[in-house]
Amino acid sequence: MSTALELERLAKTFPNGTVALAELSAEIEAGDFVSLLGPSGCGKSTVLRLIAGLERPTQGQVRWPGPVKLGFVFQEPTLMAWATATENVALPLELAGVARNEAGDRARRALEPMGLANFANALPRELSGGMRMRVSIARALVAEPAVLLMDEPFAALDEFTRSQLNDDLLRLWGERRFTTLFVTHSVFEAVYLSRRILILGARPARLVADITNPTPYPRDSLYRTSTEFNALVRRILAILQDVMT
Amino acid sequence: MIRNALNLILPLALFAGLIWFWEWSVVHWEVPAFILPPPSAILAVFQSDGASLYGSAATTLATTLAAFALAVISGTALATLFAASRLAEAMLSPYAVILQVTPVIAIAPLIMVWVGLDNAWLAVLILAWIVAFFPVLASATAGLKAVDPNLRDLFRLYDATFWETFRRLLVPSALPYLLAGIKTAGGLALAGAVIAEFAAASGNTNGLAWRILEAGNRLQIAKMFAALVLLALIGVILYAILSVIEWLLLHRWHGTQRP
Repeated sequence: MSTALELERLAKTFPNGTVALAELSAEIEAGDFVSLLGPSGCGKSTVLRLIAGLERPTQGQVRWPGPVKLGFVFQEPTLMAWATATENVALPLELAGVARNEAGDRARRALEPMGLANFANALPRELSGGMRMRVSIARALVAEPAVLLMDEPFAALDEFTRSQLNDDLLRLWGERRFTTLFVTHSVFEAVYLSRRILILGARPARLVADITNPTPYPRDSLYRTSTEFNALVRRILAILQDVMT
Repeated sequence: MIRNALNLILPLALFAGLIWFWEWSVVHWEVPAFILPPPSAILAVFQSDGASLYGSAATTLATTLAAFALAVISGTALATLFAASRLAEAMLSPYAVILQVTPVIAIAPLIMVWVGLDNAWLAVLILAWIVAFFPVLASATAGLKAVDPNLRDLFRLYDATFWETFRRLLVPSALPYLLAGIKTAGGLALAGAVIAEFAAASGNTNGLAWRILEAGNRLQIAKMFAALVLLALIGVILYAILSVIEWLLLHRWHGTQRP
């Protein structure tokens, strides 16, 4: 396996003195599904923002093997309210210089696997919360990024929609194998989705445990109630308990 | 259907009733015409003095529209500069505030001296512009700042240029704010034009305010009312046009415009 990116003694202190991230080193394999799991406010999001280049580290660096295309999914769908689903999804392509017509075609094709073929011309306000998040994922994937960064993308959704989107994400990941870094504070979600789970401790964030989930893909709803699933959840909860106290 | 019809008919009926009551009460209590003329007398003025009133209305309207256009262009341009450079905002916005909080009626004599009495129309235009300018600047600045920070990050992530970000993100985000400010500016441009005409207090300006002063000096109260009716009409039409433009631009996606 080749390396997709490497976090090298990454640290971030904000100008107001808040230490968001103490020091984090990790090597992420290409095509892996890695969750960053930790309590709220532990600096998980800061890690993603550092990787995306939206923040500058105060120490260390993110090392890339070469130029890499990124996709980013925020906690909110973060759609342009005045633009249709297609126009929203076409944005990364158009900003990369793809001609308008071609960008539109590719955007429509990106909406299909999200089950939104019939909503290509819908405005965000005409879509449900789950559908908006699907548009957001389609937008992140439309330019075929090598690395997908997701910042608690399903935290605001109801349980049912959330597990549907988990399955959609796993299906797309299974087909395309983009390296995924998934920030979440849900142990169940992290275990269900990931091949590897990095547990971060709170304030300042530091790496507490690096856990591999050996259960092969594809995983389905049966896995959610299996003994392996529960055992791993229990193990991680115990680690988190230690961190919090 | 019946409800809609009532919503239209009842306000009109009330209006007609009020006008009728006005006419009746002036006659019944023998109110002198130099205190309150009846509606019929005001209507008659439009016939007898129509030419001068309409001419003055056209003058005031022209000033209003010019000041309004200047305010929209300059207010938006300055707000864009503020969005592009925080330093520019820190350096310039105090002057905009000073200009705004100083009563325009107090600045008027100074502007009159500067542009000269021969150019009273220019003084009126400048004063009306000062009044209408600030709501455009303030709303556009607020709108440009109200951009979803995550969307801003998204544009950064995809290496969008300032121009791309401006055109595709900042302008649409700011539009609901800007249009609300522009709607206010329309009314203020008219108010500013009238105040400035009063301040200039010169036949040179020849606007509706001058007609009101002139008629007041001659105790032609009906003519004063006629001028007021024209002013209100201009204000209402301007507001209606701006509301329609706002609706056309926003109704598909923005919350404030939904029924």
